[in-house]
Amino acid sequence: MASKILSVDDSRTIRLIVGRALRPYDCVLCEAGNGEEGLAVAAREKPDLILLDVTMPVMDGVTMLTKLKEDPALKTIPVIMLTAESGRDNVIHIARLGVRDYLVKPFKEDQLIEKLSRNLTLQKREAAPVAPAPAPAPAAAPQA
Amino acid sequence: MQNGANYQELSRRYGFAPKLESASRLTQLVARQDSDVDEIVKVINKDPALRDRLLRVANPDAENAAEYSIETVEEALMRNGVGCAMVLAMSTPLALALIKTAQTMLSVKMEMIDRNLAEPLENEHLLGTIGFSGKVAGAVYLRMNLASARMVAAEILGMNPEEMADVNEIRDVVGELLNIMTGNFKSNLCDASLDCKLQPPEVKLSTDSQSPVVPGGGLERMAFRTDKAQIFVDVTANPWNSED
Repeated sequence: MASKILSVDDSRTIRLIVGRALRPYDCVLCEAGNGEEGLAVAAREKPDLILLDVTMPVMDGVTMLTKLKEDPALKTIPVIMLTAESGRDNVIHIARLGVRDYLVKPFKEDQLIEKLSRNLTLQKREAAPVAPAPAPAPAAAPQA
Repeated sequence: MQNGANYQELSRRYGFAPKLESASRLTQLVARQDSDVDEIVKVINKDPALRDRLLRVANPDAENAAEYSIETVEEALMRNGVGCAMVLAMSTPLALALIKTAQTMLSVKMEMIDRNLAEPLENEHLLGTIGFSGKVAGAVYLRMNLASARMVAAEILGMNPEEMADVNEIRDVVGELLNIMTGNFKSNLCDASLDCKLQPPEVKLSTDSQSPVVPGGGLERMAFRTDKAQIFVDVTANPWNSED
């Protein structure tokens, strides 16, 4: 069964990069642009894992994480932080709230896949079946 | 299990890259205000890149090191003040984050170049700004001409530059580039007990290549180059901001 991953980031660029990294794998990617949307999508879609940014408008990632961990229906969803924030106090605070892993931007797509693979079974998509080659068209009848 | 973990343990667990000690140490020292200048000199002398940049700033008219009239870190600090060294130290994580972003997300080598040797910006260019406020206040400005911005955006998104017709898409990439740089920058400040908050990035077309200096602060102007693009980054900061 395909894994479902929720990417919560206000940057469309990051969501596109995450989508590109996941393209070879059999998984469904859901997206949200801030923490408030992220909580709503998490409740609706019940993802297998959440990738979470910190600095976002409306509701930041730390607030979303706090609320997620307070919700009995959502608190067991593993969260990987994907953020440029790596300040000592922030990292300690976030770790205490309970995250599976932490990836600091900038990142390589390989690093993201490696972190996801530690928490999910990512299976490569099966290659699309190769369509049989069309039969050669009959040679045009020579014109009289 | 994670409750008792300290930063070093977490840093190992999450595989964080080591932080640049000289930048963190210098930021901490200057932030204290009562630090011994000899200690500051010692930290700067241990970091040749930082030392070179400080001397270059202290000798604005010199074209190369042979022309420097100010030759030591002590003289440079006397001339430019400790605040100047602080802004230089603060801008180091920013510069490293940009260079690392180029390596990891653009797969290109980016180098910091002498601002005076950079090709000047076109009249109209893309300007990204992020302000920060707290114990330290200021702003980071990132400038690129449109061709450079299009190339950078295309590389990051894995597209051809010709496909990048939507300026909003280019703006979003530039905004994220700024976010990544400034996030690393802010982390260094927070580690030096200079807590501050970032404002959302603003990216727009501009013809103004002057960056306003924050009251009571200094300005560091940097330029970076890849084989296809040039990026200009200015940082203005007041490390002794009274508003908190």
